[in-house]
Amino acid sequence: MKHVIITISTLAFLALTVPAFAHFQMIYTPESALNKGGKIPLAIVFTHPFEAGHTMDMGNPEQFFVVRSRGENAPKKTDLLSTLKPINWTSLTNSGKAYETEYKARGGDHVFCLVPSPYFEAGEDAYIQQSTKMIVNVGGEPGAWMEPVGLDCEIVPLCKPYDRWTGNVFQGKVLFKGKPVAGAEIEIEFLNHKPLLDKKAFAKEAAAVAPQDAFVLQTIFADDNGVFTFGIPKAGWWGFAALGLDPEGSYKGKECSRDAVIWIKAVDM
Amino acid sequence: MKLKLSVLIFAAMVFGFFLPPVCQAHTPLCSCYDNGDGRVTCEGGFSDGSSAAGVQVRIEDGAGKVLIQGKMDDDSEFTFDKPAGDYKVQFNAGEGHEITVHGKEITE
Repeated sequence: MKHVIITISTLAFLALTVPAFAHFQMIYTPESALNKGGKIPLAIVFTHPFEAGHTMDMGNPEQFFVVRSRGENAPKKTDLLSTLKPINWTSLTNSGKAYETEYKARGGDHVFCLVPSPYFEAGEDAYIQQSTKMIVNVGGEPGAWMEPVGLDCEIVPLCKPYDRWTGNVFQGKVLFKGKPVAGAEIEIEFLNHKPLLDKKAFAKEAAAVAPQDAFVLQTIFADDNGVFTFGIPKAGWWGFAALGLDPEGSYKGKECSRDAVIWIKAVDM
Repeated sequence: MKLKLSVLIFAAMVFGFFLPPVCQAHTPLCSCYDNGDGRVTCEGGFSDGSSAAGVQVRIEDGAGKVLIQGKMDDDSEFTFDKPAGDYKVQFNAGEGHEITVHGKEITE
């Protein structure tokens, strides 16, 4: 009996000390800067991108749309919710409920936006809802990438999100209901395992090795104007999650962390 | 009169000073898409995001004969009936700002 208790308490201790890697809602496509228009694949996965670890059964999407803009033309919003197909995405440790779709892109900026329904994180007895943006440009003609699309929780890029070389900085502004969030906490992860769209899985090989757990999930804070700056050390996709933007965030009687996520891709010179 | 002239020269110098960088940041862009309904839409623009409304567009056949001629609309677009044979689209925003798109490169 004593043995069983020790085993249980050891297991509980181990469960508690598993590093709390951050959750990142992803909208993934291979390229953010395309030369030509055409069909682009999109995968929507709720995961831990650096480790390609536990992939959550994400909440049903509440909103999924794209805002297309080109040159001086007025941005146009297109609802894409009905195009999403449920899939199972395989991580290195499990598989989880995710979505995929295709989109026919033409010239200019395409700001893809997702608001999933809140996800219940049993370990924290709380919900997480991550409003996510990812921007694709076709042909190099810019549009309204710098304009807020009007999500409650939103990161607005202050740098063109698809023109970053490795070593450039990325700057963004954190907004809650259109107002800057002073001192917002931002978690950053590198998409370290290539998503294999045909296999609906992460590649086993990692691009980078973290010397210690702190490097898996980087943390920075926004300044008094809600602006944050991050130097990009490696080519590839980077996710930024500004956490808990709604001070009164709750869902079904429990706490709900309402977060804003943005993904950018840097390339080597 | 002398003062006016020097003002003009100064203005010309200022204008001349600012003109070159503006040109460099202003690459013309034109992409065309087959709409799948027998029509083709070309989207014109510039790399700095400025409008191509009013820019001349010419559709020529393989021999260079002009088939269709027009201008980019207010949304910097030009839509035309897809010619039967070989064709190319000429986007002409002035000297050094011309783009040719060949029909065989135009897909959905």
